[in-house]
Amino acid sequence: MLATLGNWLEERIGWRSVWATIFLRKIPHVNWLYTLGSATLFVAMVQGITGILLTIYYVPTPDHAYDSVVYITTQLPAGWFIRGLHHWGASAMIVLTAAHLLRVFFYGAYKYPRETTWITGVLLLLVVVGFGFTGYLLPWDQKAYWATTVGTQIAGLVPFVGDWILRIARGGPELSAVTLARFFGTHVWVLPAALASLIGVHLYLVIRNGISAVPSRGE
Amino acid sequence: MQSEGETKNGRRDFMRAAIAAIGGVIGAAIGLPAIPYVIGPALKSEQGDWIRLGSPTKVELDTPTLFKTTLETQTGWISTQEEFSVYILTENGQDFVAMSNICTHLGCRVRWIAEESGFFCPCHNGVFAKDGSVQGGPPPRPLDRFETKVEDGNLFVRRG
Repeated sequence: MLATLGNWLEERIGWRSVWATIFLRKIPHVNWLYTLGSATLFVAMVQGITGILLTIYYVPTPDHAYDSVVYITTQLPAGWFIRGLHHWGASAMIVLTAAHLLRVFFYGAYKYPRETTWITGVLLLLVVVGFGFTGYLLPWDQKAYWATTVGTQIAGLVPFVGDWILRIARGGPELSAVTLARFFGTHVWVLPAALASLIGVHLYLVIRNGISAVPSRGE
Repeated sequence: MQSEGETKNGRRDFMRAAIAAIGGVIGAAIGLPAIPYVIGPALKSEQGDWIRLGSPTKVELDTPTLFKTTLETQTGWISTQEEFSVYILTENGQDFVAMSNICTHLGCRVRWIAEESGFFCPCHNGVFAKDGSVQGGPPPRPLDRFETKVEDGNLFVRRG
Protein backbone atom coordinates (compact mmCIF):
# COMPACT_ATOMS: atom_id res chain seq x y z
CA MET A 1 0.00 0.00 0.00
CA LEU A 2 2.67 2.46 1.11
CA ALA A 3 5.01 1.09 -1.55
CA THR A 4 2.33 1.60 -4.19
CA LEU A 5 1.87 5.20 -3.11
CA GLY A 6 5.66 5.63 -3.10
CA ASN A 7 5.89 4.29 -6.65
CA TRP A 8 2.97 6.43 -7.79
CA LEU A 9 4.66 9.55 -6.44
CA GLU A 10 8.11 8.48 -7.70
CA GLU A 11 6.75 8.28 -11.24
CA ARG A 12 5.39 11.82 -11.01
CA ILE A 13 7.80 13.78 -8.80
CA GLY A 14 10.95 11.61 -8.59
CA TRP A 15 11.37 11.87 -4.83
CA ARG A 16 13.63 8.81 -4.54
CA SER A 17 16.64 10.51 -6.07
CA VAL A 18 16.08 13.49 -3.74
CA TRP A 19 15.86 11.15 -0.76
CA ALA A 20 18.97 9.27 -1.84
CA THR A 21 20.92 12.50 -2.38
CA ILE A 22 20.07 13.73 1.10
CA PHE A 23 20.07 10.61 3.23
CA LEU A 24 21.95 7.89 1.32
CA ARG A 25 25.04 9.86 0.36
CA LYS A 26 28.48 8.36 0.83
CA ILE A 27 30.35 9.58 3.88
CA PRO A 28 33.83 8.80 5.22
CA HIS A 29 34.22 6.81 8.42
CA VAL A 30 33.49 9.45 11.07
CA ASN A 31 32.71 9.70 14.78
CA TRP A 32 29.92 10.97 17.01
CA LEU A 33 31.16 14.56 16.90
CA TYR A 34 29.88 14.63 13.33
CA THR A 35 26.29 14.48 14.63
CA LEU A 36 26.51 17.95 16.22
CA GLY A 37 25.31 19.67 13.05
CA SER A 38 22.30 17.37 12.74
CA ALA A 39 21.59 17.82 16.45
CA THR A 40 21.61 21.60 15.96
CA LEU A 41 19.24 21.27 13.02
CA PHE A 42 16.94 19.04 15.04
CA VAL A 43 16.78 21.45 17.99
CA ALA A 44 16.17 24.29 15.52
CA MET A 45 13.12 22.39 14.27
CA VAL A 46 11.88 21.86 17.84
CA GLN A 47 12.35 25.61 18.44
CA GLY A 48 10.33 26.34 15.31
CA ILE A 49 7.44 24.11 16.34
CA THR A 50 7.32 25.20 20.00
CA GLY A 51 7.80 28.83 18.93
CA ILE A 52 4.79 28.64 16.62
CA LEU A 53 2.77 27.10 19.44
CA LEU A 54 3.79 29.92 21.81
CA THR A 55 2.64 32.62 19.38
CA ILE A 56 -0.89 31.21 19.64
CA TYR A 57 -1.13 32.82 23.10
CA TYR A 58 1.77 35.23 23.48
CA VAL A 59 1.02 38.94 22.98
CA PRO A 60 4.00 41.28 22.46
CA THR A 61 2.82 44.43 24.22
CA PRO A 62 3.98 45.75 27.61
CA ASP A 63 0.53 45.41 29.17
CA HIS A 64 0.01 41.81 28.04
CA ALA A 65 3.40 40.16 27.41
CA TYR A 66 4.17 39.12 30.98
CA ASP A 67 0.58 38.14 31.80
CA SER A 68 0.25 36.07 28.63
CA VAL A 69 3.49 34.25 29.43
CA VAL A 70 2.26 33.52 32.97
CA TYR A 71 -1.03 32.34 31.46
CA ILE A 72 0.83 29.96 29.13
CA THR A 73 2.98 28.63 31.95
CA THR A 74 0.37 28.22 34.68
CA GLN A 75 -3.09 28.01 33.08
CA LEU A 76 -2.77 26.12 29.82
CA PRO A 77 -2.55 22.34 29.67
CA ALA A 78 1.07 21.44 28.81
CA GLY A 79 1.86 25.15 28.48
CA TRP A 80 4.75 24.83 30.94
CA PHE A 81 6.07 21.96 28.80
CA ILE A 82 5.89 23.79 25.46
CA ARG A 83 7.46 26.92 26.94
CA GLY A 84 10.04 24.83 28.82
CA LEU A 85 11.11 23.12 25.61
CA HIS A 86 11.49 26.49 23.89
CA HIS A 87 13.35 27.98 26.88
CA TRP A 88 15.85 25.14 27.29
CA GLY A 89 16.02 24.56 23.55
CA ALA A 90 17.33 28.13 23.22
CA SER A 91 20.29 27.29 25.43
CA ALA A 92 20.78 24.00 23.61
CA MET A 93 20.93 25.88 20.31
CA ILE A 94 23.81 28.07 21.49
CA VAL A 95 25.70 25.12 23.02
CA LEU A 96 25.23 22.84 20.00
CA THR A 97 26.03 25.55 17.45
CA ALA A 98 29.23 26.40 19.29
CA ALA A 99 30.20 22.73 19.67
CA HIS A 100 29.54 22.13 15.97
CA LEU A 101 31.68 25.14 15.10
CA LEU A 102 34.53 23.90 17.30
CA ARG A 103 34.42 20.45 15.73
CA VAL A 104 34.61 21.94 12.23
CA PHE A 105 37.41 24.24 13.35
CA PHE A 106 39.60 21.65 15.07
CA TYR A 107 39.14 19.09 12.31
CA GLY A 108 40.06 21.73 9.73
CA ALA A 109 36.81 20.95 7.94
CA TYR A 110 36.39 24.58 6.87
CA LYS A 111 39.23 24.32 4.33
CA TYR A 112 38.95 24.10 0.55
CA PRO A 113 36.42 23.40 -0.91
CA ARG A 114 34.21 24.08 2.10
CA GLU A 115 34.91 27.77 2.81
CA THR A 116 31.41 28.88 1.78
CA THR A 117 29.87 26.28 4.07
CA TRP A 118 31.93 27.76 6.90
CA ILE A 119 30.86 31.31 6.01
CA THR A 120 27.16 30.41 5.93
CA GLY A 121 27.76 28.59 9.22
CA VAL A 122 29.19 31.72 10.81
CA LEU A 123 26.19 33.70 9.56
CA LEU A 124 23.95 31.01 11.08
CA LEU A 125 25.77 31.48 14.38
CA LEU A 126 24.96 35.19 14.24
CA VAL A 127 21.31 34.38 13.53
CA VAL A 128 21.19 31.95 16.47
CA VAL A 129 22.71 34.54 18.80
CA GLY A 130 20.18 37.05 17.44
CA PHE A 131 17.38 34.62 18.29
CA GLY A 132 18.73 34.35 21.82
CA PHE A 133 19.07 38.10 22.27
CA THR A 134 15.62 39.02 20.91
CA GLY A 135 13.86 36.08 22.57
CA TYR A 136 15.27 36.95 25.97
CA LEU A 137 13.23 40.18 26.09
CA LEU A 138 9.88 38.64 25.17
CA PRO A 139 8.74 37.39 28.64
CA TRP A 140 8.97 41.08 29.67
CA ASP A 141 9.93 40.32 33.26
CA GLN A 142 12.60 42.11 35.27
CA LYS A 143 15.40 39.89 34.01
CA ALA A 144 14.32 40.37 30.40
CA TYR A 145 13.96 44.12 30.75
CA TRP A 146 17.33 44.72 32.38
CA ALA A 147 19.21 42.21 30.24
CA THR A 148 17.99 44.06 27.15
CA THR A 149 18.76 47.42 28.73
CA VAL A 150 22.32 46.26 29.32
CA GLY A 151 22.62 44.46 25.98
CA THR A 152 21.52 47.44 23.93
CA GLN A 153 23.71 49.70 26.09
CA ILE A 154 26.70 47.54 25.15
CA ALA A 155 25.80 47.91 21.48
CA GLY A 156 25.73 51.65 22.16
CA LEU A 157 29.45 51.59 23.05
CA VAL A 158 30.52 51.12 19.43
CA PRO A 159 32.64 54.14 18.46
CA PHE A 160 30.88 56.87 16.44
CA VAL A 161 27.77 54.89 15.41
CA GLY A 162 27.01 53.44 18.87
CA ASP A 163 24.22 55.80 19.84
CA TRP A 164 22.65 55.31 16.45
CA ILE A 165 22.73 51.50 16.83
CA LEU A 166 21.26 51.75 20.33
CA ARG A 167 18.38 53.91 19.11
CA ILE A 168 17.64 51.58 16.21
CA ALA A 169 17.75 48.51 18.47
CA ARG A 170 15.42 50.11 21.01
CA GLY A 171 13.29 52.02 18.53
CA GLY A 172 14.01 55.15 20.54
CA PRO A 173 16.26 56.27 23.38
CA GLU A 174 14.56 54.06 26.00
CA LEU A 175 13.21 50.53 26.21
CA SER A 176 9.51 50.71 25.40
CA ALA A 177 6.55 49.07 23.70
CA VAL A 178 8.34 49.83 20.44
CA THR A 179 11.36 47.80 21.59
CA LEU A 180 9.23 44.82 22.57
CA ALA A 181 7.31 44.88 19.28
CA ARG A 182 10.42 45.09 17.09
CA PHE A 183 12.21 42.38 19.09
CA PHE A 184 9.16 40.16 18.63
CA GLY A 185 8.93 40.91 14.90
CA THR A 186 12.63 40.19 14.51
CA HIS A 187 12.36 37.00 16.57
CA VAL A 188 9.40 35.48 14.72
CA TRP A 189 9.78 36.83 11.16
CA VAL A 190 13.16 38.26 10.27
CA LEU A 191 15.38 35.68 11.96
CA PRO A 192 13.33 32.59 11.03
CA ALA A 193 13.41 33.69 7.37
CA ALA A 194 17.17 34.22 7.58
CA LEU A 195 17.65 30.91 9.41
CA ALA A 196 15.62 28.92 6.88
CA SER A 197 17.41 30.44 3.88
CA LEU A 198 20.86 30.00 5.37
CA ILE A 199 20.16 26.42 6.47
CA GLY A 200 19.04 25.70 2.92
CA VAL A 201 22.34 26.96 1.49
CA HIS A 202 24.36 25.35 4.29
CA LEU A 203 22.80 21.92 3.73
CA TYR A 204 23.07 22.21 -0.03
CA LEU A 205 26.79 22.83 0.36
CA VAL A 206 27.22 19.98 2.84
CA ILE A 207 25.56 17.61 0.39
CA ARG A 208 27.31 19.02 -2.69
CA ASN A 209 30.82 18.97 -1.26
CA GLY A 210 30.39 15.98 1.02
CA ILE A 211 31.79 15.97 4.52
CA SER A 212 35.47 15.86 5.31
CA ALA A 213 37.07 12.80 6.90
CA VAL A 214 38.64 12.87 10.34
CA PRO A 215 42.10 14.32 9.70
CA SER A 216 45.01 12.00 10.37
CA ARG A 217 48.53 12.68 11.58
CA GLY A 218 50.72 14.37 8.99
CA GLU A 219 47.83 15.82 6.99
CA MET B 1 30.34 -13.14 1.94
CA GLN B 2 26.70 -14.11 2.00
CA SER B 3 26.53 -13.85 5.77
CA GLU B 4 28.37 -10.52 5.80
CA GLY B 5 25.84 -9.07 3.37
CA GLU B 6 23.09 -10.25 5.67
CA THR B 7 24.67 -8.63 8.72
CA LYS B 8 25.04 -5.38 6.85
CA ASN B 9 21.41 -5.37 5.88
CA GLY B 10 20.48 -6.42 9.38
CA ARG B 11 22.33 -3.49 10.86
CA ARG B 12 20.85 -1.14 8.29
CA ASP B 13 17.33 -2.36 9.00
CA PHE B 14 17.92 -2.10 12.73
CA MET B 15 19.12 1.49 12.40
CA ARG B 16 16.16 2.36 10.21
CA ALA B 17 13.72 0.88 12.73
CA ALA B 18 15.52 2.56 15.65
CA ILE B 19 15.43 5.96 13.95
CA ALA B 20 11.72 5.54 13.15
CA ALA B 21 10.96 4.50 16.74
CA ILE B 22 12.95 7.30 18.39
CA GLY B 23 11.57 9.81 15.90
CA GLY B 24 8.07 8.59 16.64
CA VAL B 25 8.57 8.94 20.39
CA ILE B 26 9.98 12.47 20.03
CA GLY B 27 7.23 13.43 17.60
CA ALA B 28 4.60 12.17 20.04
CA ALA B 29 6.31 13.92 22.97
CA ILE B 30 5.84 17.26 21.24
CA GLY B 31 2.77 16.53 19.14
CA LEU B 32 0.54 15.07 21.84
CA PRO B 33 0.94 17.89 24.42
CA ALA B 34 0.35 20.36 21.58
CA ILE B 35 -3.26 19.18 21.21
CA PRO B 36 -4.56 20.04 24.73
CA TYR B 37 -2.33 23.15 24.63
CA VAL B 38 -4.15 24.45 21.57
CA ILE B 39 -7.71 23.37 22.35
CA GLY B 40 -7.51 23.67 26.17
CA PRO B 41 -9.13 27.10 26.64
CA ALA B 42 -11.98 26.11 24.32
CA LEU B 43 -12.93 23.16 26.50
CA LYS B 44 -13.11 25.06 29.78
CA SER B 45 -16.69 24.79 31.02
CA GLU B 46 -18.05 27.95 32.58
CA GLN B 47 -20.31 26.91 35.43
CA GLY B 48 -21.07 30.40 36.62
CA ASP B 49 -21.41 31.70 40.13
CA TRP B 50 -24.67 33.03 41.47
CA ILE B 51 -25.19 36.56 40.20
CA ARG B 52 -26.92 39.00 42.56
CA LEU B 53 -29.56 41.13 40.82
CA GLY B 54 -31.09 43.00 43.76
CA SER B 55 -34.44 43.03 45.51
CA PRO B 56 -37.11 40.79 43.98
CA THR B 57 -39.67 43.48 44.71
CA LYS B 58 -38.30 45.39 41.74
CA VAL B 59 -39.76 42.74 39.44
CA GLU B 60 -43.06 43.97 38.04
CA LEU B 61 -45.89 41.50 38.23
CA ASP B 62 -46.63 39.64 35.03
CA THR B 63 -44.28 41.63 32.83
CA PRO B 64 -40.65 40.76 32.00
CA THR B 65 -38.37 43.17 33.86
CA LEU B 66 -34.83 43.80 32.69
CA PHE B 67 -32.02 43.55 35.23
CA LYS B 68 -28.55 44.76 34.32
CA THR B 69 -25.37 44.15 36.19
CA THR B 70 -21.67 44.19 35.45
CA LEU B 71 -19.67 41.05 35.98
CA GLU B 72 -15.98 40.63 36.53
CA THR B 73 -14.91 37.93 34.09
CA GLN B 74 -11.56 36.35 33.37
CA THR B 75 -10.80 35.69 29.70
CA GLY B 76 -7.35 34.26 29.19
CA TRP B 77 -5.05 36.55 31.19
CA ILE B 78 -7.35 39.57 31.01
CA SER B 79 -10.06 40.31 33.52
CA THR B 80 -12.82 42.36 32.00
CA GLN B 81 -16.10 43.95 33.03
CA GLU B 82 -18.93 42.28 31.23
CA GLU B 83 -22.40 43.77 30.94
CA PHE B 84 -24.90 41.08 31.93
CA SER B 85 -28.61 41.49 31.28
CA VAL B 86 -31.45 39.17 32.18
CA TYR B 87 -35.23 39.39 31.99
CA ILE B 88 -37.12 38.30 35.11
CA LEU B 89 -40.76 37.29 34.96
CA THR B 90 -43.01 36.56 37.90
CA GLU B 91 -46.71 35.78 38.09
CA ASN B 92 -47.09 35.95 41.85
CA GLY B 93 -44.03 37.69 43.27
CA GLN B 94 -42.85 34.35 44.67
CA ASP B 95 -41.70 32.25 41.75
CA PHE B 96 -39.31 33.80 39.27
CA VAL B 97 -38.35 32.88 35.74
CA ALA B 98 -35.06 34.26 34.46
CA MET B 99 -34.65 34.53 30.72
CA SER B 100 -31.60 35.39 28.67
CA ASN B 101 -31.91 38.43 26.43
CA ILE B 102 -29.85 36.69 23.76
CA CYS B 103 -31.82 35.61 20.70
CA THR B 104 -31.56 31.87 20.11
CA HIS B 105 -31.25 32.46 16.38
CA LEU B 106 -27.85 34.15 15.96
CA GLY B 107 -27.14 35.86 19.26
CA CYS B 108 -28.46 39.40 18.88
CA ARG B 109 -30.02 41.05 21.94
CA VAL B 110 -33.81 40.92 22.20
CA ARG B 111 -35.89 43.68 23.77
CA TRP B 112 -39.22 43.47 25.59
CA ILE B 113 -41.77 45.80 24.03
CA ALA B 114 -44.71 46.14 26.39
CA GLU B 115 -47.14 47.63 23.83
CA GLU B 116 -46.68 44.63 21.55
CA SER B 117 -46.40 42.21 24.46
CA GLY B 118 -43.39 40.39 23.04
CA PHE B 119 -39.63 40.17 22.85
CA PHE B 120 -38.35 41.46 19.54
CA CYS B 121 -35.03 40.76 17.94
CA PRO B 122 -33.78 43.60 15.69
CA CYS B 123 -31.58 41.38 13.53
CA HIS B 124 -33.97 38.98 11.76
CA ASN B 125 -37.37 39.82 13.22
CA GLY B 126 -37.47 36.99 15.72
CA VAL B 127 -40.39 37.32 18.13
CA PHE B 128 -40.75 35.64 21.53
CA ALA B 129 -43.78 35.59 23.83
CA LYS B 130 -43.76 36.75 27.45
CA ASP B 131 -42.62 33.32 28.66
CA GLY B 132 -39.86 33.18 26.08
CA SER B 133 -41.53 30.81 23.63
CA VAL B 134 -41.05 31.47 19.92
CA GLN B 135 -43.90 33.38 18.29
CA GLY B 136 -42.43 34.16 14.93
CA GLY B 137 -39.34 34.52 12.83
CA PRO B 138 -36.31 32.26 12.57
CA PRO B 139 -35.40 31.41 16.24
CA PRO B 140 -35.12 27.62 16.62
CA ARG B 141 -35.95 27.42 20.35
CA PRO B 142 -37.32 29.50 23.24
CA LEU B 143 -35.14 32.00 25.09
CA ASP B 144 -32.61 30.31 27.38
CA ARG B 145 -33.51 30.22 31.06
CA PHE B 146 -31.33 30.54 34.13
CA GLU B 147 -31.62 29.03 37.55
CA THR B 148 -33.00 31.48 40.14
CA LYS B 149 -33.08 31.73 43.92
CA VAL B 150 -34.08 34.27 46.54
CA GLU B 151 -31.77 34.58 49.52
CA ASP B 152 -31.60 37.27 52.25
CA GLY B 153 -34.03 39.44 50.29
CA ASN B 154 -31.96 39.27 47.15
CA LEU B 155 -32.70 37.70 43.80
CA PHE B 156 -29.92 35.60 42.29
CA VAL B 157 -29.53 33.91 38.91
CA ARG B 158 -26.95 31.43 37.70
CA ARG B 159 -25.84 30.78 34.15
CA GLY B 160 -25.76 27.13 33.20
